Amino acid sequence: MMMKMTTKTTMNKIVVLTIGTLLFAAFSVSAHQQKTAISTVLFNARTENIEIMHRFRVHDAEHAVKEIFGKDADIIDSKETQKQFGDYVNQRFNLFASDEQPLPLKMVGVELDGKFLWVYQETTQPTKLVNMTIRHNALRDLWPQQINTINVEGKGKLQTLTFSDSVELLTLTFEH
Amino acid sequence: MFNKLITIAVLSFAAIGSANAAISQTKGDFEDKFRQLDESLPTPNVYRNAAGEPGHAYWQQQVDYKIKAKLDEEKRRIEASQDITYHNNSPDTLKYLWVQLDQNKFRNDSMSAMTTTFGGIGNRGPATSTASSSKPAQLSLGALRRQQFTDDNVLGYDIQSVKDTKGKSLKHTIVGTNMRIDLPVHLKPGKKVEFSIDYAFNIVEEDAVSARSGYEHFPDDERKGGNDIFLLAQWFPRLHAYTDYEAWTNKEFIGRGEFTLEFGNYDVELTVPADHIVSSTGALQNPKSVLTATQRKRLKEAEKADRIVFVVTEEEALENEKEGTNKSKTWKFRAENVRDFAWASSRKFMWDARGHQQGGNDQPLVMAMSFYPKEGGDLWKKYSTEAVIQTLQVYSRFSFDYPYPVAQSVNGPVGGMEYPMITFNGPRTELQDDGSRTYSQAEKRFLIGVVIHEVGHIYFPMVVNSDERQWTWMDEGLNSFLDGIAGREWDPTIPWGVEPRDIVSYMKSSNQVPIMTQSDSVLRLGPNAYGKPAVALNILRETLLGRELFDFAFKEYAQRWKYKRPTPSDFFRTMEEASGVDLDWFWRGWFYSTDHVDISLDKISKLRLDTKDPDIDFNRLRQEELDKPMSLTDERNKAEGKKLWVERFPDITDFYDENDRFTVTNKERNKYNKFLKDLKPWEKAALERAVKEDKNYYVLEFSNKGGLVMPIILELTFADGTKENQYIPAEIWRRTPKAVNKMIITDKNKELLSVTVDPRWETADVNVDNNHYPRQIIPSRIEAYKKKKSTKKVSRDIMQDIKTELKTDDDEDDDQDNNE
Repeated sequence: MMMKMTTKTTMNKIVVLTIGTLLFAAFSVSAHQQKTAISTVLFNARTENIEIMHRFRVHDAEHAVKEIFGKDADIIDSKETQKQFGDYVNQRFNLFASDEQPLPLKMVGVELDGKFLWVYQETTQPTKLVNMTIRHNALRDLWPQQINTINVEGKGKLQTLTFSDSVELLTLTFEH
Repeated sequence: MFNKLITIAVLSFAAIGSANAAISQTKGDFEDKFRQLDESLPTPNVYRNAAGEPGHAYWQQQVDYKIKAKLDEEKRRIEASQDITYHNNSPDTLKYLWVQLDQNKFRNDSMSAMTTTFGGIGNRGPATSTASSSKPAQLSLGALRRQQFTDDNVLGYDIQSVKDTKGKSLKHTIVGTNMRIDLPVHLKPGKKVEFSIDYAFNIVEEDAVSARSGYEHFPDDERKGGNDIFLLAQWFPRLHAYTDYEAWTNKEFIGRGEFTLEFGNYDVELTVPADHIVSSTGALQNPKSVLTATQRKRLKEAEKADRIVFVVTEEEALENEKEGTNKSKTWKFRAENVRDFAWASSRKFMWDARGHQQGGNDQPLVMAMSFYPKEGGDLWKKYSTEAVIQTLQVYSRFSFDYPYPVAQSVNGPVGGMEYPMITFNGPRTELQDDGSRTYSQAEKRFLIGVVIHEVGHIYFPMVVNSDERQWTWMDEGLNSFLDGIAGREWDPTIPWGVEPRDIVSYMKSSNQVPIMTQSDSVLRLGPNAYGKPAVALNILRETLLGRELFDFAFKEYAQRWKYKRPTPSDFFRTMEEASGVDLDWFWRGWFYSTDHVDISLDKISKLRLDTKDPDIDFNRLRQEELDKPMSLTDERNKAEGKKLWVERFPDITDFYDENDRFTVTNKERNKYNKFLKDLKPWEKAALERAVKEDKNYYVLEFSNKGGLVMPIILELTFADGTKENQYIPAEIWRRTPKAVNKMIITDKNKELLSVTVDPRWETADVNVDNNHYPRQIIPSRIEAYKKKKSTKKVSRDIMQDIKTELKTDDDEDDDQDNNE
């Protein structure tokens, strides 16, 4: 069996259903791929930056941009679409320092490399960081079944965070 | 007295741990990464021998089916009856038979439905997500649609009767997706039993429930009420496999673990609306009654054609889908030695075909065929059937001639799913506002990739019949490995399949389970059961065994288990036995553990051989002393013009002012001569030669940070600019799996400058930072990207730049700011 992928793209419909006090936000999903992305959050000792490198599958990104930006979006050939997708990821990925303040992430670029699409961000490393909280909603607002995995490297032992199910924020503690 | 041993300074092989018995012990922390798997694998027996081959008493059951089914297009319902002949080839007497009722998975009270977690992971089908502090719970419209669909439709099998040949009802008990049929007379070994089942079920809407088959509705077609494509699979009660290793494989069908089935022969009659085109497992038996003379002529023509021939053209299909009929036709198919049977039916299908003349005795001609609606369009016309043929060519090279008369690719609502002789594939074109149909590059790659993948499954597991309910990797892993080969042979610029580098982020992550995990329990199915095993096999082929040994062993596995049922141990044992290479450590590391590869080159020491000759060695020691940097104090004293005592009183000197501590006396020379005299002739010869050659001795210190033992592949760069590669087999880690030292000896004039571990990234080493000595600064992807951005030609926006007008001399030179 191949992971299910269909080609249809539909406009993103947001239906908010109020049932009693429970609120359902529902999304129309017709393309239900086995959607996964993997990212590296690297504490780069050389540059003293935190570098964030997101790896998406081109096929996922291709369907995503058509849903978000419309039919003419072209993740492979259009620099404009790539930039738009980068901005989209930028808006949905946040790092929060120990004091719960968001770290300002700078967009570095988007790069197509074979079957993968990379989105790069960075920020300077805070002087003191006991723990860090991460939000990674890219594509998860589009397809609730999207699973985003993050490897945090360069600061102690490698730690893996998985954004699946209803997970919105994950916190990791650094050992010193 | 001189010691006879030639001592090499610095060198020491640290022995880490001394345990050599069990894998994990309380004494020390030694882990035997090379411990043989014998005690972990099932004991070989007469059914499966120690070579990984079917044993001398190998058996498997056979189940033959005669099915008559009617597709009720209006009600989207199958009504059918089937006669089953069950051959008991096992040495056991059977009191009952177990049948799979896969359609029961769609019932609201199925284990699958009842255990679907809200917002859970790993579900097939529409998604949900639970509430969190910042976001309300989400229920996708897809999930709502599924729920409404299962509410509104009676789903699951309607088993109307189970009877013996005399028409007498047989006691049967339905247990979820399984049914037990009690046999009035126990079925002895070598005997067979015949019985029949009448049944019906309502077909699920694939897009609503996410199945591996179902119908898809096209409401916008010209025909009033639209049209459907029907894909039928898991559409008849199928016998569970009865095996030597698990007896009845009647594990409930929850959704993830696929199917474990018996081979048999099928005679199937499918009654469908007269204007439908049917694609099916098997060879069509009555073309004269279901195809027009033109269609039959075109099919014949296609057998020897160089390019596809349309049996039903696009125009004909478009005309056909405009109206319906209330007449029906019965298509008759026969399939021999298949483990399953699937089919598709629609009035929307165009149909193309091209004969694949593969030669050989088994099946010289295979008809490669594709069936698709206008929505498949040019994408399908160009590539589907060609991709089928490419698959057959490549896969047969690695296994055996394709054994069936047809190989088909059908477009419908299923993303990609395989059955004997027929596959369902999802990619489509996109309808544009101007009425044209286009497709993206990724969609093209997806179509070629999915057709190769699904047709590849006709070999694994449809012929090499592995147990999918237990082990997803056995068919998906092997098949992903081969589809990577077939894809790269199609067009190497299309990045297919599975390079070791693609799997490293998964392998170093902390939440994973071993490949050897039952299908329904696997976390992260894609990398676990498709990617990682495919990469492992790729490494085995390209790096560990080499193509010749690997291809021989892999083909041996395929041929041994053609039409038979292999288990993981049969694969492991065959690959090892046929290649003649101990691979237990490899299976242990890659398939039974979650270790990853991270080999670090920590240090290189350069050593020089002592000659024992004091006239040589003492000079060298003196030179070593002189080569040390001068003491800062001495240097500054000198600079300040400080006069030394020995300079101020040159008349007060003695012997030691003339002779330093490296001065050789006859005492040392006598010792040396005695040493030489005491040497046996061969010892003397060895020493003299070594002294004369004066080679360079390097000791490389490695540590294994990932746990997975792998060969150490070295690229040595020398001062003279040359490079040399060395391959150190993984067995170097066998006694000290955490760290090893390796000596490299080079000629006097071959001075080592630097060393790189795994320069071609072929071992899935997750961290290349520690692969260089001396250490190199390995830029992160971001650093590399920033650097590349300014130089790489691909970053040019040629689409924009091409609009630039050519300047004449008269134009003002205003392009100073145009620097990227």
